Formats: sequence, C-alpha cells, structure tokens
Amino acid sequence: MGGADASSLNTRAQGALGDRLLQEALTTATTQFMSARRTALAEFPQSDRYREEARRIKEATLQRLDHYLGLLADNVERAGGVVHWARDAAEAREIILALARERGVRLVVKSKSMATEEIQLNEALAAAGIEAVETDLGEYIIQLAHERPSHIIAPAIHKTKGQVAELFSAETNAPVPAEPEALTRVARRELREKFLRADMGISGVNFAIAETGTLVLVTNEGNGRLVTTLPRVHVALMGIDKVIPSPTDLMVFLQVLPRAATGQKLSVYTNLVRGPRRPGEADGPDELHLVVLDNGRTAQLAGPLREALYCLRCGACLNVCPVYRQIGGHAYGHTYPGPIGILLTAMLEGTGAVRELAHASSLCGACHEVCPVKIDIPRMLIALRVALDRERLAPASERLAFRALARILESPRAFRILGRLGRALGRALGAWPSPIQRWTAHRELPAVARRSFTERWAELRREEEEA
Amino acid sequence: MRREEFLDRIRAEAAHAQGLVPATPATRPAEAGAEAAAVRERSRRETESLLARFRTEAERVGVSVRRAAGIAEAGEIVLELAAAREVRRVATWGRRALGLGSAVAARLRQAGIEVAEASPDEIAEGDRTALCRRLAEADLGLTGADLAIAETGTLVLASGAGRGRGVSLLPPYHVALFGRDQLVASLAEAGVVLEGWEAARPPGMGANVVFVTGPSRTADIELTLTRGVHGPREVHAVFVDSL
Repeated sequence: MGGADASSLNTRAQGALGDRLLQEALTTATTQFMSARRTALAEFPQSDRYREEARRIKEATLQRLDHYLGLLADNVERAGGVVHWARDAAEAREIILALARERGVRLVVKSKSMATEEIQLNEALAAAGIEAVETDLGEYIIQLAHERPSHIIAPAIHKTKGQVAELFSAETNAPVPAEPEALTRVARRELREKFLRADMGISGVNFAIAETGTLVLVTNEGNGRLVTTLPRVHVALMGIDKVIPSPTDLMVFLQVLPRAATGQKLSVYTNLVRGPRRPGEADGPDELHLVVLDNGRTAQLAGPLREALYCLRCGACLNVCPVYRQIGGHAYGHTYPGPIGILLTAMLEGTGAVRELAHASSLCGACHEVCPVKIDIPRMLIALRVALDRERLAPASERLAFRALARILESPRAFRILGRLGRALGRALGAWPSPIQRWTAHRELPAVARRSFTERWAELRREEEEA
Repeated sequence: MRREEFLDRIRAEAAHAQGLVPATPATRPAEAGAEAAAVRERSRRETESLLARFRTEAERVGVSVRRAAGIAEAGEIVLELAAAREVRRVATWGRRALGLGSAVAARLRQAGIEVAEASPDEIAEGDRTALCRRLAEADLGLTGADLAIAETGTLVLASGAGRGRGVSLLPPYHVALFGRDQLVASLAEAGVVLEGWEAARPPGMGANVVFVTGPSRTADIELTLTRGVHGPREVHAVFVDSL
C-alpha cells in the first residue's frame, strides 16, 4: 500500500541523481523554500516560544486524544455534519466510495490532501467509474502526468514549464505557451468548469477544532475554498493526529505553520468550515462528512514513533535534508517523502517498509532544527534502526558487522589491537580497489593518524610524571 | 468502524504510554464575549496606528489599501477601480449584510454596471448551481469584512445570510469595505474575537469563516509566483472612516 515501489532505494536514488532537470529543480526549490523560511523567522524573534507552545498543545492533545476526538465528533454533528470512523485505508476508501455511490456522484473535485494520497483514493474512485480531479495546480499537473507528488507542499517541483505546457496542450487540444502566467490561466479556466459541475468535493484537513467542530484548511490558491463551497457534498478526510482543542490553539499553529512551509506570515486562505451551510446561506455544501482515519497511528500512541504524530505536514524538513535535496521525493518510494516521511512510512506500513529508508539520513539534525513543532526526527530514525536490528529485518551482513563492532567497543584490549591493525590497513587502503571504492570514488578517505589518541595520551601522562 | 470501538482502542493504547511530560493546551479566554469587547474597545482608540500597520502588511502581500472619508467617496473609489478594469458585472453581498456599504453597490448600478446580490431572497432555494454560475460570471465581487488584522494584513469574512462565500472567491477582482470597528492588532486578538463568536453564536452567522491574506496565488510551476489561479487575482481593501 501507499504506492510502495519494489525497486531498491539505491536504484531509485541513482535514477534521481542522473536526472539533470530534477537535480536543478530540487536545488532551486529547496533553496528558495529554505531562504523564504529564514527570512520569515528573522522577522519573528518570538518564533521559538510559539514553536514550544505548538509542541505542547500537540502533546496535550495526544494525552487526551480519545476525549478530543469524541468532542470533535459531537460538535461536528451538532453543526449538522456526519462523522465516520475508518480503522485503515481500506475502510476509509469504502466509506467515501459508498457516500459517492449512494448519491450518484460522477465528478469529484479534490483539494490537495496527503491523507487521500495515503489511502490511494484516486485509484479507488477511478476503479468505481468516478472521475476525480485534483485542483491544486501542482497536483493537477502531476495527475495529468500520471505521477505522484514529489514534495509535501510543492507536488510538481520536478516538472519544468515546458513539460507542463505539453501536458496542458494535450489536455485542452490546443497549443499552450510555456509561460507560468498563461499556464495558470488555462488551469483556472479548465478547473473552474470542473468545480461548477462537480457533485462532491473532497479535501484534507490541516486542523480540526474539537471545542467547536470546525475544520481548518490552509491554502494559497483558493481551491480549498472552492472544494468546500461549490459542490453539494463536502467530504473531509483527516488523520486522528489533526485534532486540536480550541480556536485559541489554532492561532498558535497559524503562527508557525505558514512560516515553516513557505515563509509566509499567513497563507492566503485560512478557511474555517463548521458543518454544512446554514439556513439562509446562498452557497456552501448541503452535506458535510468527516472521515476520521487511524491507519496505524493509534499503535504509536505508546510507541517509539509517538512524536511523529505532532507533524503538521509543512515540508520544512524536506527542504533542509541533505538526502532529500539530492534524491527528491519519488526516490523514497512511498506517499510521504523526506525525513518525516521515513517515520510516517514506518508508522503506516510497518517497520519492514523502511528497511532501507531508515538509513537514508545522515542524522545531521537539520530536520529537527527547522521543525515548527521541534520533532526529534534523528532520535526516532535511530530507534527505527535499532528496531530493524532487533526484529532481524536488517540484512544479516549489517547485523553481523554491528554486533562485531559492539564487541570491539566493549573491550579496551580488542579496541587497541584492532585499532592498531586498522590504522596500518587504513594507510594502505586508499590505493586498494573495492569494496570501499564506491566511497572513495566521490570523496577523499580521511587520513589516518600514525598514533592513536589513547597512545598519545598515555605518552603525555608519562612525560608529565617524569617531569 | 463504530465510534466507541475506535475511541476505546485509542484509550487502551494511550494507557501504555510511558514517561510523558505534563502538557496543557493554550488558555482560552474565560469570558470570551467580554474579552472580545475589550479588544474592540482598545482597537478603536488606536485606529490610526492599526490602519497604518494594516496598510503596510496588506501591501506586502499584494492587497491595495484605499481610504475614504465617507461612503460616497468609497463609491467613487470602487467605481474608479471597476472602470479601470472594464468591469461590467458585479456580485455583492446582500443589502443588509453590506449595511451602509450598499450605497457603493447603488453607485455602481447608477453608473450602468450590472449588480447582482448573492442574497437568498434573490436566489430561489435549490438553485445553487445557477447562483454559482452567476457569481463566476461576475467580474468583481463586493463584500464587507468582519475583521482586518493589522499584524498580517488579513481580511476576515464570515459567511451567513446575504453573505455568499462565492462573492469573495469566484470573480477575478475582490473589493472589501471595512471600518474602524473591524481593525484588530494581531492574530491572537482575532482569536479572542473568534472565541467570542463561538461563545455567543450570533444568529444568522453561517458555517464558514475565511481569513484572506492577499490575492489567490501559486508557485507550483517552477516556483514562479502567479496570481489568481483559483480565487481573485486582485484584492482591494477600502477603509471607510464613517463605517
């Protein structure tokens, strides 16, 4: 599930590294996002206080998650909405398909939602003969290209304007110039017609406010508003981790989310939806359905990946990750890319799914540093590596090597002897072929000192005593 | 899955969590209504500085800010905006929702521009598609605003009777009228007002509240900033001293 790719991470990464256009796009995009974020934070000295507070709110919510989800459901229902509970992706798909079938829905408009990607909703709708159109410009582009998002908030960063123009020309049967302005106009025209004809709008949820039953969608394009305004039925899909207690808490998250994601103080539209339209309202949906999705999240409430449930899906950790910046989102091979994506993949699909990915990090800590809720991603990546070893999921050679290393590190004598051997070998190794050639082809092997620190330390002590 | 079963699993699992640090959510205002009133009172005394800040921040995100002494001048400003953009059709909030601002709609009509109100009296129930199509055909949407947040240059619009959501969303140009009573300093203050609305649940209030910070934008094609992808490509905020 989750679009897992059967090829090895190494193969996928090689492919990405060899793709010149992708490499350029990745560098430009991630650099631009990083600098926008830095600029925004430079103007916002109190950011750290807000990040701490946002983190505290997430933790407080998780500690009483059953209470807040129950409260949310009560208030959504009080506002006239209907709440559905989905244990896994299959249940969520079934619920949404049934809603669509019962209402004879033929055209669905969607606003960007990683949760719907997670349950592979588009494929399920297509199989049921229902047309589902992605309306976020980036998502629309990759849907036309039959691809999957490569970045959490900028799904089509890997596409050039020339490629987009080709896709749009094919879709509209008319030549479209390869200019972002013109391409955006074409998308507006094409998608506006879909919005006006659609029978159902499907969205994700950035925050769901328990005390009021309000669903919050944060977007820049306005498609999130259209999806929740024009079609007769609005279906929102949220992971259980999206609930927050009150509107006052929302204001804290609004201080940190847009800045971390795009460097904006606020995204263009922060859309608060509380139930279907009320009597007297001229527009807005007649029906609102909220689907609450578990899909492996509950199992982490007392698990090693608990902290990943704080994630706001801002994408900041992708932009700063030296691995993501090199290989891009597709090479990760699952719905959620980047450092946080590795943790989410393990959460949703099990530890076995990240056998290779758990090592796709240098543990440099940049992700932890930029996270708007300060998620300690490196700590959990290490925990995953430990789990892979314990559950015997890691390759035997790797487990053997680390077991041997552990023995050596435990015994000063073995460490000394092997260290001496290693230094002698190390000096000779630079010139040797394989197995470390894959490393030395790209980097200098660090020079090995003739004498170890321990040896020199002992010598110094001796000299001191003699003096 | 049934709700109770779903929540029971969460309860059971959470009980095993170890080494948790105590944590509390943000403190909600104890008397939301009274605190919201206090926020408004404070803002009223600082109109000039709040408006100056609002202007700076709104302009940074691409919203033009104009100021009119009275509603007649506001009418001329909006007419000028409309004429410069060859606007023929205008969609507006209903007369009662616009309040004094409806004089602006009247001025446009007088100048020969077709003006349609998105109010339920004008649109028969169940004819939503027709309404949305008409809103989508309008060149300009005219609304009021419920809050103007100085710190972020944000306009807050609550839906309701005569306050169609599509008016600020579907046409390529959006003009919002606001006065000193709408200005608040910060997001936190807007939060207090929001809590006040929740506590009071004013009758006639709709199901939607939207924070608008600039015109609709995207950077999805090669990170080139482009306006008006789905919503309006221009947003104009008109401050009216007498509103």
